[in-house]
Amino acid sequence: MLEVELKKHRRGLTVEAAFTLEAGAALGLFGPSGAGKSTVLACLAGIEAPDHGHIRLGDRLLFPPPLPLHRRSVGYLTQEPNLFPHLTVEGNVAFGLPRARARTPEQREWLERLRRQLHLDDCWSASVARISAGQARRVALARMLAHRPALVLLDEPFTGLDRALVRGLIADLLEWRQALGFTLIAVDHQAEVLSRLCPQVLAMEAGRIVERGTWAELRLSSSASLRALLQPL
Amino acid sequence: MGTAAPPAPPRRPWAHLAAGVFALLLLYPLTGMLARVGRWQWGGQIGAASLASIRVSLLLTALAMLIVVAVGTPAALYIRRASRRARAWWQAALLLSILLPALALGILLTLALRPEGVVGGLLLRLGMATSNSPAAFVLTQVYVSLGYYVLGALVALDAIPPALEQQAALLGLRAGQVFARVTLPLARLGLAAALSLAWVRAIGEFGAVVITAYYPAGMPVQLWIHLQSFGLPAVMPLLLAFLLAALPLPLLLHLLAQGRRRA
Repeated sequence: MLEVELKKHRRGLTVEAAFTLEAGAALGLFGPSGAGKSTVLACLAGIEAPDHGHIRLGDRLLFPPPLPLHRRSVGYLTQEPNLFPHLTVEGNVAFGLPRARARTPEQREWLERLRRQLHLDDCWSASVARISAGQARRVALARMLAHRPALVLLDEPFTGLDRALVRGLIADLLEWRQALGFTLIAVDHQAEVLSRLCPQVLAMEAGRIVERGTWAELRLSSSASLRALLQPL
Repeated sequence: MGTAAPPAPPRRPWAHLAAGVFALLLLYPLTGMLARVGRWQWGGQIGAASLASIRVSLLLTALAMLIVVAVGTPAALYIRRASRRARAWWQAALLLSILLPALALGILLTLALRPEGVVGGLLLRLGMATSNSPAAFVLTQVYVSLGYYVLGALVALDAIPPALEQQAALLGLRAGQVFARVTLPLARLGLAAALSLAWVRAIGEFGAVVITAYYPAGMPVQLWIHLQSFGLPAVMPLLLAFLLAALPLPLLLHLLAQGRRRA
């Protein structure tokens, strides 16, 4: 279970969010730009500290006090894959795991499975400077999954990718969520992308939560701006 | 993932010519090594004093650099994370240490570390004389070069996106491990370039060292002594050794760092 109650003052905006989420559930944060969605994710990841409130993930208190990043068991994917440029694809995916010789057979098998299922065989030994944007996102996904996080946060990680790649990555994420059972919170400005990942949605406007429910319920929202965001182009 | 830079527009021939003249002007002082000053002298007292000064400069500057790295790297890491206002204060303090005229720094250091003072007295009780001693030599070199190293290190560290270090921490690495496995590998050439600047500044220091540590004489002070006592023929061999000790390593590190930045 994830329990969130937070307040964070930004320049010209106070972000407030309170919600709970069952372990293994998926929730989309939806709303216009500047609504505070990414701030909520950054607070959950520990990149930013809330001014007030508390965040609990299972029996682990993430805030307050802020739990150090390395003890959170949180995976965080953003628009930039943030791969380590001095390492190969393998070095990135296995980052933070024991060195090759010290890995258990189970860890080796796990890495092998990530490599195979995320189609990284061709670039496994390549420098990350030489891979495509689509491969880079898959490497970032594999690197995150390698640690089996309890909570996965996605902050528009599909921005700039073509539809086929996005479709493939969404399918990968859904498959791995099924396999690993992590809790998922995703932000994306495309309702189509978000609704494929998360059946439940939490809508934010001007730093506050204004709706929570299914996508069908959101389409009946009293907020005209939210309904407008759901309109196809 | 990388994007190719757009091709540079073609340059006119006169631009190449002007750049060539500029390069010649930059390197022109080196032609002084070819000047006819008479037969170079190295024998007897001159050679012994020169060798001793080379040994003093290399050993004590290396020790000073160890201190600069040990103190300067954590300081740069701290300043990097400081608020904008605190950072401005830090940079002002670092610039002040760089801009202080060398002779003035030498006089100020000698006065601040006088034996009857608190710090000077304490160091003296610990067996470190703060004037005309190896300790004074090293201390002066640390003061003249630390600002250069920290400012250079800050540039190198600022070039690393914080998101990479945050990602490493989220992947389970503690702060020290993040530094060793992400920060240091990505900043190492920049840090090496900063250290090379500090090295050149320290090993070449004359104005401050001549006040605080006339003895043991390093290469710059010994060059001055040779010039005063024996003239240019005695200076030239030590000058060549001085240039060889001071320049090749920093030059190489700078070129490597530039090459990596372009890559």
